[in-house]
Amino acid sequence: MTSRALLLDVVVRGLHPFMIFVSVMLLLRGHDAPGGGFIGGLVAVAATALLTVARGHRQALARLPLAPVPLAALGALLSLGSGVPALWVGEPFLTHLWVEAPVGPWLVPLSTVHLFDVGVYATVWGALGGLAAAIIAVDEEGAA
Amino acid sequence: MGWLALVPLTSFFAAFALLLRGGPPLSVSVPWVPSLGVDLGVHLDGLALLMVLLITGVGACVFVYAAGYMQGESGRRRLALVLLLFMTAMLGCVTADNLLVVFACWEITSITSFLLVGFHHEEESSRKSALQALLVTTGGGLALLAGVVLLGNMAGTYSIQELLRTAPAWREQPLRDVALLCVIVGAFSKSAQLPFHFWLPNAMAAPTPVSAYLHSATMVKLGVYLLARMDAAFDGTPFWGFTLMSCGGLTSAWAVLQTLRERDLKRILAWSTVSALGTMVMLIGLPGDDSALAVAAFVLAHALYKAPLFFVAGNVDHSTGTRNIDHLAGLAPRMPWTAAAALLAAASMSGFPMSFGYLAKELTNVAKKEGGLYTWIGHSSVLASAITVAVAAIAAIRIFWHRGGAVVPGHVHEVGWSMRLPPLLIASVGILFGVRPRLADPLIGAAAEAMHPLYDFAAASATARAEPGWTALLVALTLGVGVFLAWDRLHDALGKVELPSVLRLADWYERLLRGIPAAARGVTGLLQRGALTGYVTSLVGFVVVVLGAVTWALLGQRGVAVEVSPGGAPWGKDLGVLGAAVVLSVGAVAACLVRDSFVLLLSSGLVGMACALLFLFLGAPDLAFTQFGVEVAFVVVVASTLLRLRRMDARPSAPQRRLPRIVLSTSLGVLVTALLLVALGAPTFDPEVAAFFAEHSVEDAHGRNVVNVLLVDFRAFDTLGEIVVVLVSFLATLPLFQALRVRGGEPS
Repeated sequence: MTSRALLLDVVVRGLHPFMIFVSVMLLLRGHDAPGGGFIGGLVAVAATALLTVARGHRQALARLPLAPVPLAALGALLSLGSGVPALWVGEPFLTHLWVEAPVGPWLVPLSTVHLFDVGVYATVWGALGGLAAAIIAVDEEGAA
Repeated sequence: MGWLALVPLTSFFAAFALLLRGGPPLSVSVPWVPSLGVDLGVHLDGLALLMVLLITGVGACVFVYAAGYMQGESGRRRLALVLLLFMTAMLGCVTADNLLVVFACWEITSITSFLLVGFHHEEESSRKSALQALLVTTGGGLALLAGVVLLGNMAGTYSIQELLRTAPAWREQPLRDVALLCVIVGAFSKSAQLPFHFWLPNAMAAPTPVSAYLHSATMVKLGVYLLARMDAAFDGTPFWGFTLMSCGGLTSAWAVLQTLRERDLKRILAWSTVSALGTMVMLIGLPGDDSALAVAAFVLAHALYKAPLFFVAGNVDHSTGTRNIDHLAGLAPRMPWTAAAALLAAASMSGFPMSFGYLAKELTNVAKKEGGLYTWIGHSSVLASAITVAVAAIAAIRIFWHRGGAVVPGHVHEVGWSMRLPPLLIASVGILFGVRPRLADPLIGAAAEAMHPLYDFAAASATARAEPGWTALLVALTLGVGVFLAWDRLHDALGKVELPSVLRLADWYERLLRGIPAAARGVTGLLQRGALTGYVTSLVGFVVVVLGAVTWALLGQRGVAVEVSPGGAPWGKDLGVLGAAVVLSVGAVAACLVRDSFVLLLSSGLVGMACALLFLFLGAPDLAFTQFGVEVAFVVVVASTLLRLRRMDARPSAPQRRLPRIVLSTSLGVLVTALLLVALGAPTFDPEVAAFFAEHSVEDAHGRNVVNVLLVDFRAFDTLGEIVVVLVSFLATLPLFQALRVRGGEPS
């Protein structure tokens, strides 16, 4: 590892968890403030791409919650599945349902919408992150 | 498989009962694909019944015959299955009232014909012939489909009966002749008319039961059937009459000359079938109503003599092992039953009195006389009937009674009953109808009336019987005997004449087949040059052309309307927008000036970031975030690729000319700018939509971020589709990069 990459390595080491944190925040607050699954996913993709450049695609993929293909596929399935409950209550597919779940003293609104958005987030992260890592990895191992 | 004959036999008797019942045609209709206007309608009039009786009657005989012919062969179940399928499709084709259903059945007969011609698929010649038959007939089928759709659009219905009834209302439309040409090409390819005739003799690679059934009695008559069906609507239009008469007459004469060049009995019969089909087409093309009766009689007569002759050829082949007429002579004592069948069929084919062929020939002559045929076609048809007589004599007399130089091998013996009876039975019917013409009257009369509803059948048959055309008949018979006696000499003489390849249509077919891969290679070479700059140039060039057209059209429609919105926004916001615009311009100008690809990437990244800033200050934070994310990921990925390219020392393979590229990129930039200016003036933005979403977002979807609510709730189905696209493109591209990595990792 050259000295130039060392600097990048140090910076990214701190930046990566922060970017993932921001991406999750964006995902969670998305329904009421700027953000959402797609944007959050893109930030996560940028984090993965940076990590790949700094430390190689093996390490970057190890920091994904799942391998890229399962992650993306699971995301699409989640989004698809979030539309199914509506069918049980006789509404059209993808009509989102809301419940107020009691968590301790608070009532937290939960919805199939969140499931859907998490699915979008996972698909974007898995697919585009995996792709970015794959593209960068071509260079990395070809040179080795 | 002989018992399978019961299947067509029941349909045969059902159709027979319908025919005896008389009365108006039976018509039943069930909706099938209502959105396309396709009904499963059945219309059983005289013409349909004639075809049904032929299909089922000959079909039953074919199943009995095939049981004997294929005894002990391994593929006979396959043969029976495909034959049944073929028969069903044929029945569908001649009884359906909807043109689209007719087309579907038509194509099934082409495909089953392919399977049957290629029955001996171990032999290459067999496969080749099958493919040829398939390509020619389905190619014509495509033309037919185009014609059917054109007709359907012109008439507003796909029902044949409806189409014929309303013909005077729509047949003056300008596209009529195009539609007619398409239908004619389809019919000609199926019925082996010039210039599509060459597949039929080659289709003789099929087992004999198949040849007797498909290539003489039924399938090749489909084209004739369709033309006869349509004749009522187009009779009298010059294009229709001229095309049918000249092509039919030409085919008839040309094919009959080809018989003289052949030595294979089956191929001789095949060419004479092509000739007979030509005569039928010519008869349909004759203006006036008189031809209808002749067509019906000829279709029936031809099936009644040609199918038995094919069976006879099969019998001879089966017991002697050859179909070459040079090696066949004096078989009558060994195969008396087959010889009898051959004699009966040949009598009808040559038009001897007291046979049905005689009657058909007489009606044909009357129709020709009344219809005012071109003189040259009249002469050529005399030639055709003379050689037809000679062919009949070859098939019956030369093989069975003539004692030529050939010696009959000792093992030759008569075939089994299942192969003796079918030809005898069918040929006898041909004679029976000749002796007692009134028996055939209801059959051909009803068919003629179905072709031409106003046709007075009784009067026409009375005229035909009042003036028998003895002269034409005698001329044909005398000439025919002459040709028969001089057959070998004529054969040798014609064999010396080699047609130039330019005139041989089978050669054109070969050329076409070879041309397809060559053309594909040419196009691929032109488009897939393997250089990225080439791809980008053609891509951008295409976009420039399309955008240019769109912009031009819009400019003409609307003109440019630039509206500067009145101020009123906070001062700080304006400053932000201004700053973003400055950064954007700097990035854009830099991108135009720098030569280094890495710096170029950074400049374009700068433009993207400035865009995101602009979105942010203009009140679209979601868009801005997305733009940031995409831009960062894009720059990182492309930068790493560029680094690799630099390390590989990759350079453009050819020196690049700058001027065309400058022109191309400048015009793209100008066009996009112009298009945006035009689009800004468009009144397409409906503020009510925004108001609606703003109002219902919290209420219905519990979300204050309208953009996100749109994505995940109101238009969730679209988003679902989009992420599936993301997933699929990922899965499609991933192997590509993995392969690159594997190759790059290998020591080279």
